[in-house]
Amino acid sequence: MAIESAKPSEEEKSWSMGVADATLGALGRRTLSSFGVFWAILHMSWEILIRFFPPRIDGAELMRNLYNVGVRSFSIIVVTALFVGAIMVIQAGIYVEQYGATGLLGWGAGFATVRELSPIMIALMFNGRVGAKNTAELGTMKVTEQVDALRALAIDPISYLIMPRFVAMVSMMTLLVVLGDATALLGGAATSQFLLGVDHLVFFRSFVELIHVSDLMLGVYKATTFGVAMGIISCHYGYAVSGGAVGVGRAVNDSVVSSAIAIFVLNYLVTYIIT
Amino acid sequence: MSEAELIVRCEGVSKRFRRAWVLEDVELRLERGSMLGLIGPGGCGKSLLVKMICGLVRPDRGRIWVNGQELGGLGERQMQALRAQIGMVFQNYALFDFLDVGENIALPLRVEGLLPPKEIEQRVAEILDLVALPGIERKMPHELSGGMKKRVSFARAVVRRPPLVIYDDPTAGLDPVTSAKIYRLLARMKEEGTSSITISHDLDGIRPLCERWLLLDGGRKLFEGDLAALEACSLPRVREFWHGD
Amino acid sequence: MASKTAQDVSSEPRGFELLLAYVGEPLVLAFLELRGIAQTAALTVAYAIRGQRRREETWSQALRIGNHSLLFVAAVAASLGTTLVYQAGLQAQRILGDLTLLGPLYLQLLLREFGPTITALMLATRVGTGISAEIGSMVVTEQVDALRMSGVHPVEYLIVPRFWASTVMMLCLVCFSVLVSWVAGMLTAQLAFGVSPLTFAKLTFIIPGDVVLMLLKSLVYGMTIPIVAGASGLAAHGGSEGVGWATTQSVVNCSLIILFEDFLLSGFGYLFLLR
Repeated sequence: MAIESAKPSEEEKSWSMGVADATLGALGRRTLSSFGVFWAILHMSWEILIRFFPPRIDGAELMRNLYNVGVRSFSIIVVTALFVGAIMVIQAGIYVEQYGATGLLGWGAGFATVRELSPIMIALMFNGRVGAKNTAELGTMKVTEQVDALRALAIDPISYLIMPRFVAMVSMMTLLVVLGDATALLGGAATSQFLLGVDHLVFFRSFVELIHVSDLMLGVYKATTFGVAMGIISCHYGYAVSGGAVGVGRAVNDSVVSSAIAIFVLNYLVTYIIT
Repeated sequence: MSEAELIVRCEGVSKRFRRAWVLEDVELRLERGSMLGLIGPGGCGKSLLVKMICGLVRPDRGRIWVNGQELGGLGERQMQALRAQIGMVFQNYALFDFLDVGENIALPLRVEGLLPPKEIEQRVAEILDLVALPGIERKMPHELSGGMKKRVSFARAVVRRPPLVIYDDPTAGLDPVTSAKIYRLLARMKEEGTSSITISHDLDGIRPLCERWLLLDGGRKLFEGDLAALEACSLPRVREFWHGD
Repeated sequence: MASKTAQDVSSEPRGFELLLAYVGEPLVLAFLELRGIAQTAALTVAYAIRGQRRREETWSQALRIGNHSLLFVAAVAASLGTTLVYQAGLQAQRILGDLTLLGPLYLQLLLREFGPTITALMLATRVGTGISAEIGSMVVTEQVDALRMSGVHPVEYLIVPRFWASTVMMLCLVCFSVLVSWVAGMLTAQLAFGVSPLTFAKLTFIIPGDVVLMLLKSLVYGMTIPIVAGASGLAAHGGSEGVGWATTQSVVNCSLIILFEDFLLSGFGYLFLLR
């Protein structure tokens, strides 16, 4: 990304050279720069991993981060999950109505929600709320030399700043998806009762009968994986900021974009490995 | 002093942020062709007051007149017409980083749409001559030094030849040589009959330029008057700020 | 209400008042946020209709919003398409034992729901953060004040070109993303379940309503993103923290509003378009 943004003029020129050249050029630049980013993210993962054996985490910071991450995202996750449940019931409702199979409504909507949409949507919201904020906070600390100040005080910035954030993001993401599944169910039941006219008990029954625990667990596993990815990526971009307020803005942008890609790719991998 | 001779007049201007009053009952009178030194400790509401005079921030209480027109009841379109009569040099230059120097200075003229492009170009060249930076039209703002940015910002503020110019800390962070250049520009604008308000911490630098002084402290007017009265003022806070004791 | 409750805190709050404060403050804040967005929306539409046209700026914004998102959108659409078809295929095999409907139903859901909404959420992440970071850093460096002093309205100058660019490019990107997801799904069906592309590519189920709903959703999302992101950017204050705050706010607001619009439009589609 850094290489790409450093040469805006070249990109303008390449536009006039034709779409094919421009696309190839962008592809090449991206491949080169994403190697660098990939390597740096691996390095950050390693730094985090070695601090788990033995655990070196600042306790007070951890509590503060757990509170910030969990409680601050609560209302947004609830609203998101309500809408996701409602939208999936509407989509499934169209087919259910065509074939008159109201007994399958809970299964159709619920299956897609707990396995796919609830983890993905909640992760995207979490990415916007917590991941972006994390990068912005760490980035601001970096450009105002607070990170250097920690080092000067002989405090390891990774144990003190990054570990608590990482642990808070992973654990809260997992818990929030459990909460989100339950809320989505409520949103779905309300929609099926009021918009589709399918009794909510019918909805719940088909959900309970046809959805397996393994379906729910797949969503939870996904959530944990997404939490790990977002934790590492957002901390990496925040920790690597340079260049003042503009740099912070750019880092936040890069961080949410990379996390979003990671979410979808991991979604594919986890689905493929577990089922 | 009759009302027509005043270019800016503020009465009981107050502004609240959350629950705290950050500006309370401030009075200000500026005669045509004169310069007002707006001084006070950091965070006392100086920048806020000048932003209200430009109509960028609306006061919660009180009335402001600029060039005989009251700002209170103006819509956005009329307000824009009024802002054309005010030039503002921002504290941190506020140059548009996506436009080059020439386009930065030309923007107010282009928006106005009164002059043909050729003449705008000529005006930009003239004004860059005035600030002693000829021929830098095609440079981008990030290529300039702090003093140059300040002078470009100055050029953009005065390109429409407004009757009132506001300088928000024109010499902040500049070395003495560059500061002297800026003060010469301020003096020159004054000779041409422009009225101005100058916010500054460099009291010695603006002392010869300003006829009137307004000292704000904690959002309140502490003192208003001319230089002799300011030096003679016996209020402890004023003496502390002015004499540093 | 926010100010009243804060005063009460300083003078011995009682239990009931504290409860009111906890419930009321987020509501008041959400209301203020929505009012800011509504004002920006009204101004944007007004200036978009009768303001000056800035062809070049709109063109370069379209390049940045559209072309530079192609790779990102393609990556996300492909992995989502693969995952969806894989999961749906497994279920269909288990319950129905028949995979001939997989392709047509998948394409239908793609048009109605996943294509537009997922693409819009992705662009809210990539483009929304970009717009709010850019405008936010212009606010904190007083460039927006300087614009107004030059007689330019910031909404007209900054948001309107992005509004046109995003509205048009969103339509293109959604079509592109649907195409990529569909092809990815087709490949998955062939490789994982041996469904031939000819069976998969049947268009039997597609009705005009599906396409109309897709275009409608894309249009609304495309208009939403620059308005909401621009409003967050214009509301920034403070230094680099302010920019970070605006960026975070923009992702969350954009995503929530897109989900809400998705809910409304899906309901509208269910009631009027897809019968």
